[in-house]
Amino acid sequence: MKKYLKIIAALGSLGLIAGIFVFVFVVNKSHPDYEHKKPDFTLTVSELYSTYQNDNVKGSATYDGKVVQVSGALSAVETSGNDIYVCFVLNEGVFGAEGVRVRMLENQKKLSQKLEPGQAVAIKGFVTGYNETDVVLEHGSIVQ
Amino acid sequence: MKTTTFIILLLTGFALSGNIQAQKYATKTGSIRFYSEAPADNIEAFNKQVNSALDTQTGDFVYRVLMKGFQFEKALMQEHFNENYVESHKFPNASFAGKITNTDAVDFAKDGTYEVTVAGKLTIKGVTKDVSEKGTFEVKDGAINGKSTFNIKLADYGVEIPKTVMKNIAETVEINVDVTLAALNN
Repeated sequence: MKKYLKIIAALGSLGLIAGIFVFVFVVNKSHPDYEHKKPDFTLTVSELYSTYQNDNVKGSATYDGKVVQVSGALSAVETSGNDIYVCFVLNEGVFGAEGVRVRMLENQKKLSQKLEPGQAVAIKGFVTGYNETDVVLEHGSIVQ
Repeated sequence: MKTTTFIILLLTGFALSGNIQAQKYATKTGSIRFYSEAPADNIEAFNKQVNSALDTQTGDFVYRVLMKGFQFEKALMQEHFNENYVESHKFPNASFAGKITNTDAVDFAKDGTYEVTVAGKLTIKGVTKDVSEKGTFEVKDGAINGKSTFNIKLADYGVEIPKTVMKNIAETVEINVDVTLAALNN
C-alpha cells in the first residue's frame, strides 16, 4: 500500500512541476528582450527600405518578424502621445515623407530625444512590415 | 477592386487633386485597440503605428495597419494571434477605405466635435466586408482627431477559433480607432 502511495505522490509531484513549468515558460512566458537580442540582420536603412520597395513579397519574407539593426542618417525624432518615433526619410510620397520608422522602447525615450537630425545612428528593432509607405519597426533601441 | 488598389488610387487622387492642401490630412501614428472579453481571459492589444488619411473635401477616409504591430500583454497570446488566428505572414495588413457619408454635418474649418458615419470596405485576413460605423471627428487647433468604436465578428473575416479554446475567446471583438490627423504639407 505504501508503495502505491509513494508512486502516486511522485506522479503528483511531477505533474505539479510540469504544470508550473508550462504556466511559467509557456502560458505566461515573457516577451523577448528586444534591446539585448542579437539582430537577425544588420544593414542600412536604405537597404531595408529598397528591398521592400522593389519587392514587397521578398521584403516581407526576409524581414517581417525579425530583429534588425539598421544604420543611417537620422531625419527626425517624433513624439505622439507617450511614444517616441525615430524616423529615417528616404522618399517623398503622397503621404509625405516615407522611409523607415521605429517606435522606441520605453527606456530609450530620453536617449532618443537627444538625437539630432543628420546624426549617424544605428537602431535595433522588430520589423512589423511595410505599409506601402514605410518599413515599420517596434521595440526600438539605440545601438550607437 | 482590391482594397490595396483602391487605397493607392485614393491616395493618388489626394496627390492629383492637390488644389487646397489643407483638405488632406494624414498620420502615421494612429492607434487601433482591440478588446475581447471572455470568461477565462480578457484579450487586449494595441497598434500605435496606424497609417491614416482623410480628404475633408470628398470625405474619403482610409487607414492601414500592420498585423504584426499589435502588442499584447502576454507573449503567447501575441504568438497565437499572428500564427493561428490572423496568419499575419500571409495577410500582413488590415485596411479600411471608405467615405464620410454625412460630410455636410462637419465643418472642418471650425473647431468642434462632429458626429459622423463612415461607410466603406474593411479588409482583415484578406476578407473584405462592407461596413458602416459611427464615430466622431474633433477639429481642434488645425488637427483632426477621429475616433470610432465598433464590433466585428471574427468569423466574418475568416478568423477561426479552435473548439478547444472557444470558451476563452469571444466571437465578437471591440475595435477602437483613434487617429489624430495633421494637414499634409506636400
